[in-house]
Amino acid sequence: MASDKKQPDGQKFALESAKQQALWQREFQQIVADVQGQALGPNWTANSSPRNIGLPLPRNDVLYKVRGTARYAANISMDGMLYGRFVRSQEPHARILNIDVSAATQAPGVHAILTADEIPQDRLLVGTHDNDTPILAKDRVRYVGEPIVAIVAESVEQAQQACDLVEVEYESLPVIFTPEEAIIVGAYQIDAEAEGNIITEHRHDVGDVDAAFAAADIVLENTFTTEPIDHCFLEAQAGLAFVDSGGTLNLLVSTQYPHFHHEQLARVTGLPMEKIRVIQTVVGGAFGGKIDDTIECASCLLALKTSRPVSMTLTREEVFIATTKRHRLKFRQKLAATKEGHLTALELDILCDGGAYRSYSRVVAGRCVVHAGMPYRFPNLRVHFMTAFTNHVPSGSMRSFGVVKMAFALESHLTELAAKIGISPIEIRKRNGFVDGDVISTGQVLQDVGLLKTLAEIEPIYERRKRELAGVHGQGQMNPGRKRGLGVACLGYGIGYSGIRNPSTARLAVSADGFVTAFCGTPDIGTGSDMALTQIAAEALDIDLGRLRVVSGDSTKTDDSGPTSASRTTYFSGNAVCLASEDFKRQFCTAVAEKTGCLPAQVRIDNDRVIVQNEPLAFEQACRLIADDVDAIVGYGKFDPDIEIDISTYQGNAYPTYTYGTHLVEIEVDEELGSVDVVRYWAAHDGGVIVNPIGAEGQVEGGIVQGLGMALWEKIVRQEGFIVNPHYRDYLLPGAMDIPGELSVWFVETYDRTGPFGAKGLAEASIIPTPGAIAGAISNAVGVWPRGIPMESEKILELMGHYSADAAKSATVKGQPREPR
Amino acid sequence: MSVDISLRVNGAEHRLAVEPTETLVNVLRNRLGMTGTHKDCTMGICGACTILLNGQPVSSCLLLACQADGEAIRTIEGLERDGALSLLQEAFLRYGAVQCGFCTPGFLMIAVALLEKNPKPDRNEIIDALKGNLCRCTGYTKIVDAIEFVANN
Repeated sequence: MASDKKQPDGQKFALESAKQQALWQREFQQIVADVQGQALGPNWTANSSPRNIGLPLPRNDVLYKVRGTARYAANISMDGMLYGRFVRSQEPHARILNIDVSAATQAPGVHAILTADEIPQDRLLVGTHDNDTPILAKDRVRYVGEPIVAIVAESVEQAQQACDLVEVEYESLPVIFTPEEAIIVGAYQIDAEAEGNIITEHRHDVGDVDAAFAAADIVLENTFTTEPIDHCFLEAQAGLAFVDSGGTLNLLVSTQYPHFHHEQLARVTGLPMEKIRVIQTVVGGAFGGKIDDTIECASCLLALKTSRPVSMTLTREEVFIATTKRHRLKFRQKLAATKEGHLTALELDILCDGGAYRSYSRVVAGRCVVHAGMPYRFPNLRVHFMTAFTNHVPSGSMRSFGVVKMAFALESHLTELAAKIGISPIEIRKRNGFVDGDVISTGQVLQDVGLLKTLAEIEPIYERRKRELAGVHGQGQMNPGRKRGLGVACLGYGIGYSGIRNPSTARLAVSADGFVTAFCGTPDIGTGSDMALTQIAAEALDIDLGRLRVVSGDSTKTDDSGPTSASRTTYFSGNAVCLASEDFKRQFCTAVAEKTGCLPAQVRIDNDRVIVQNEPLAFEQACRLIADDVDAIVGYGKFDPDIEIDISTYQGNAYPTYTYGTHLVEIEVDEELGSVDVVRYWAAHDGGVIVNPIGAEGQVEGGIVQGLGMALWEKIVRQEGFIVNPHYRDYLLPGAMDIPGELSVWFVETYDRTGPFGAKGLAEASIIPTPGAIAGAISNAVGVWPRGIPMESEKILELMGHYSADAAKSATVKGQPREPR
Repeated sequence: MSVDISLRVNGAEHRLAVEPTETLVNVLRNRLGMTGTHKDCTMGICGACTILLNGQPVSSCLLLACQADGEAIRTIEGLERDGALSLLQEAFLRYGAVQCGFCTPGFLMIAVALLEKNPKPDRNEIIDALKGNLCRCTGYTKIVDAIEFVANN
């Protein structure tokens, strides 16, 4: 880290500080211009079509990404910047008796050491929904990896060396590693506010479940488990904090939610809101893992303390050990049906490991409760969902907020039910799947439901492959020792936050040279949402795509419109852009009318021209005409659908719209190894009108492959509170070798009448059916039902009666290292 | 104690003094400002830091800078010709092979190495070449599609 460069010593540095400050100011402005310029354009994408929706246009940001010039946070450096590292807890639960930083203070290159003692108690705690997580642990640590001290030095190595010199004296406290232990009466209370260690508990009861079970022809009941998994975005959390000469605290950071950090930083630093600016850098993947505080508050406090730019980047190991994970669940599911295959009741009892702090636990719970049974009609439904504190790293949000885990169990039972009554797994879903006019468990009436269309798309493929495979099996042509199977699963998923209003806003401004800038509150986290919003804006304004720029990741230039999460950006911000476009056109046409002496009604924008009393002007010509007035034109749109659920009854409108889909998978199980190869995969989705097909396909394909990883291999393994596989070496991600040889994605023709140009949203959804579809396929192939994910080969062998975990443990060979995937 | 080395990066010679323990990825990123080569796992597994050393793809996080003394190195910054995207870069862009883009430099360099060795790889050969690189966003399919397009053109 620039260790060859001689840094000025302290005194010299102070003397030069005015000069240095001016240099930094220029440097920083250039960086911001660079970062935002990459997102801005002007859009270089050539689009000769008069239409913008439904075209597979390449994205603006990708140009920089393929050149290697994209401004990720860790790629940004400033002259004389310092590097921060954390000292982290080595205890799962302990009182901190003493923190000795004396040796670290003397270590070479160290500029500042921050401990919780320096942060006033009322500013110490941060969090998304509850401010319960200390920026640095104070008297107690609750999990291994919790940050205790932050140190900045002139290089990363020096900062790390100083961290290694810090001595923390602990007194061990009782540890709790499972939610079952956490809720035992008399268990050590991990959080002062949470009696019984309960983070959140929900009950939802519809109809008469007991009567339905008593009257049922068929009842299925099993316990399902899921393991914690990591987001594994390839770019670790990173940021650069800088206090400029005007005293404004700037943070350039890889995040899903700049406004969240802005608000938290104001509270934590005591600075007024207008003295803070959070700018999103190019984000190297997030999937729900970049909406909590990690390096943000600490790096800003250190920048304020040292008056120097401070850069912090987590290591991969830190991402594994100390950032949020997908919740570990254990749940009992009981399902009732008639012998004709009509679902009559569902009962779920769910217990969740929330980890040491709250993070998104409540959000995950709320979404899972509303999604219980989706996308099928259950006249009777009972859910009990409980999340408890443990001494593990906090569980947080991750793609689909837990719905994928519920779907694993539900789709398994549906397929099992179909087999029991002798109908196809497609047929059981057709008989019970949501259609227009159905009422979900919250009382909300559904419209624009495309589920059956996705089933209809998949059904002929299923029937064809079933016939072909029967032929192969019949003739004995399959590889000996390998069995093929088909699995089907569906999804239904609500767009946006669960049961609370979550508006998004957009502003549209125009320049005299004919460029329009859309300011949107929800940032692009690598999914291409800026491109989708560009296409929506171009369509709504009816101007050329090349005129549009998007500013979406700057907390001072946009309203707080919530995070880019919950598949909400295309739908919520797209609608806001549409509303802003109407407002913009009104103002714009009025301005042109005034200049040309006609009525506003005689001016309209049409196919990149401005028609004034039937006379066409080029758009930029019209802009030049109103050059003096363009600054006053700001089209504003706020999209705030009426979403509200009464938490005591779970009744109300949960989401403004829902996305649907059906997946079909063909797998091959090795009967000797228990390993599963995914051979073919078909996915049909209802995402409303698709704004950008290549982007949408990419979301679906990526979600499926994440789903494969979750279904078959991925799990965080812990021993006594320590994560023992915090590396890709031991935490197995799907690689190029694991993708199905055939992977087809369709979007069925649907139109959402509440969406921007009929669009819904679909980014998270494609992960949801994957584990359930694979479970069904395993059962179809070898006749066993794995009830836990990941469905590892050992488990499958054990279910097949070919393997005993106890015998393997006592054997001398302790399991074979996996080949690199 | 530092070591004087010379690195030929994308045809340009750089003479510099490095610590014996400095990795090549750190030298490229921090000394030469070539941040197009990304760093993630630092264990040679994710492939984000893949560069070409004398035409062979290597993880620059596992190589000491002094081990590359005098050798020819190619990075993503060297792919454009006279400011124009290479066909491979263009294909990644058009085929949607890039989402968050953090893994992209590594995939591009692997693809360059593959196509130089085997200009007409079939789909299985492409997939085989990519097995040392991780991508969490795309599900790989569109990356394979993009490389296949270049192989066929």
